[in-house]
Amino acid sequence: MRGSLRDVALVARFEVVRAIRTWRALALVVLYLVATAGAGKIFVELLSTMETALAHTLRVPPTDRPGAMTAKLLEGEELRSMLEGMVGDPQLVEGVLSHPLLAIFHLWLGLLLVPFFASANAAESISGDLKTRAVRWEAHRTGRLEIVFGRYLGQAGLTLAASVLSILATWIVGMVFMVRQPPLGLLVSLASFTVRAWAFGMAFVGLAMACSALTASPAWARVLAIGAAAGTWVLYGIARWGSEEWGAGIVWDALLQALPQGWMRGLWLPGVHWVPSAFVCLAFGLAATSAGALRFVRRDL
Amino acid sequence: MSDALRFEGVGKRYGRRLPPALDGLACRFPQGAICGLVGPNGAGKTTAFSLVGGFLRADVGKVEVLGGPFDPFRLKGRLGVLPQDAELGDRHTPHEILAHLARLGGLPRVVAESEADRALESVNLGGDREKRVGALSHGMRRRVAVAAALVGRPELVLLDEPTAGLDPVQAASLRKVLDARRGTCTLVVSSHDLEELERLCDWIVMIDRGRCVRQGTIAEVTGRTQVIEWTLGPGEVPMQELEAALEGHSLRVEDRVLVQRAPDGADLDAASVVVAGALARAGVAIRQVRRGVSLERRFLDDAGKARE
Repeated sequence: MRGSLRDVALVARFEVVRAIRTWRALALVVLYLVATAGAGKIFVELLSTMETALAHTLRVPPTDRPGAMTAKLLEGEELRSMLEGMVGDPQLVEGVLSHPLLAIFHLWLGLLLVPFFASANAAESISGDLKTRAVRWEAHRTGRLEIVFGRYLGQAGLTLAASVLSILATWIVGMVFMVRQPPLGLLVSLASFTVRAWAFGMAFVGLAMACSALTASPAWARVLAIGAAAGTWVLYGIARWGSEEWGAGIVWDALLQALPQGWMRGLWLPGVHWVPSAFVCLAFGLAATSAGALRFVRRDL
Repeated sequence: MSDALRFEGVGKRYGRRLPPALDGLACRFPQGAICGLVGPNGAGKTTAFSLVGGFLRADVGKVEVLGGPFDPFRLKGRLGVLPQDAELGDRHTPHEILAHLARLGGLPRVVAESEADRALESVNLGGDREKRVGALSHGMRRRVAVAAALVGRPELVLLDEPTAGLDPVQAASLRKVLDARRGTCTLVVSSHDLEELERLCDWIVMIDRGRCVRQGTIAEVTGRTQVIEWTLGPGEVPMQELEAALEGHSLRVEDRVLVQRAPDGADLDAASVVVAGALARAGVAIRQVRRGVSLERRFLDDAGKARE
């Protein structure tokens, strides 16, 4: 068991080294930074427009940078309904509002983007080595399960690193383009939310690893992984629509529980109440990776 | 001598409509020997290696690797394989790859690093340890791959076409590297260069169409203890005199090559003196003498028989 865990750690370490060597890690980090900074700036612009409109209504001079009238904005319907849409549950909005608006947006964006970015990157982890047969170098020195879970762990590390660095991009956007943003408070909120988005993303990294173990074509693996991630969103949409249309039933509930998206609501909970949902998402990832591993241990390399 | 590797009735098929890649392969590779696995393209050499390395699973039969079936944890650090066509990461440095593989072989970090250095030195790539693999020539990459199979001093090393694509100088240098391993581990080498294998190997296994057609020591396979090939100059070979003097020996001339096969237990040295004397008396020049037939000739004969 100890040797097995050591091998998983060694494979994970080499996966990270490989990502750094092949610039994949850098590409992932740049993608996260550009996406979070860009989307953060768009959100700030939107907030600025809303504040300017409110300032005109209240006949007060508008500010150069948004953030000064957040409390006033929240008294209206517009921003509140937007936040309800992001969080997915009106009852959770009040609890979430203890965090800066930009941090809330950061988590919402993370829940949308991390699954796709992470799974696109993870999809070629095994399939690429199957194509070049490079996997054979490791395959006679350690078990196949160790290879799959090592790669998963390596991808988890890469996704976490990219997610953590994206905090910086959003924080800078907040500090530069907004007013009245508590530097430390924003940083802590962003960090807390980033861990949640990462845990959610791990479910999709697991799906991508399973797809990667299915085929020796990296391109196909990526298509499968992104398709699988998109498929879960479609199923989630159907389950939500079904439960709203016909009321909560065992089928819809079961479907929602069986999808990582069904646990997104829990990730918005205050305090440490989000932790169980995060663990469920991680468990999804491990379960999907295990399914891929079952195929991988049986296949010819 | 116990066996480092043994195949017992091993069969492997890649598809129902395809002929079997291995069809009841049964052969052995003795411990501590340098062994050659010989066969034409499609004979099943790479499939056999892949079964040993755990890349494929046999449909039927048993592959015994160092005393048991393939198990990466039982064989940790004891088995090294140079798989055919398996790429090394182009962006990595040779040292990085070898150190990783040595650690996966169970060595602690510091030992693995020095083992990686040692393995690279052994293939004359010590000065290129920090270059990217992608920046190395084909020959150098091949040597890195061989070093990757040898790193960690495994007991059993399988090298699938180690000299493929190497120029004669590089091939000779690699042969020296492998020769230096003689006695320290069991080496199984697959190659199309039969001359190279004949010089290097103690034990030969010949396979064709997934079956073993011959196996034994190099002396047994090439008949070094029983056969002498005399390459002759012009002139009539005194066959009657030779047949009278060497009772029980089989003698035939083919393309100015006299092939002399001695019966079991015959003194081949004494017989060779008789042949040389008779040829000298007949005025037939001796251009070359060779103990045993070449591995290539043996292989072509066996493959021909198998196909008949």
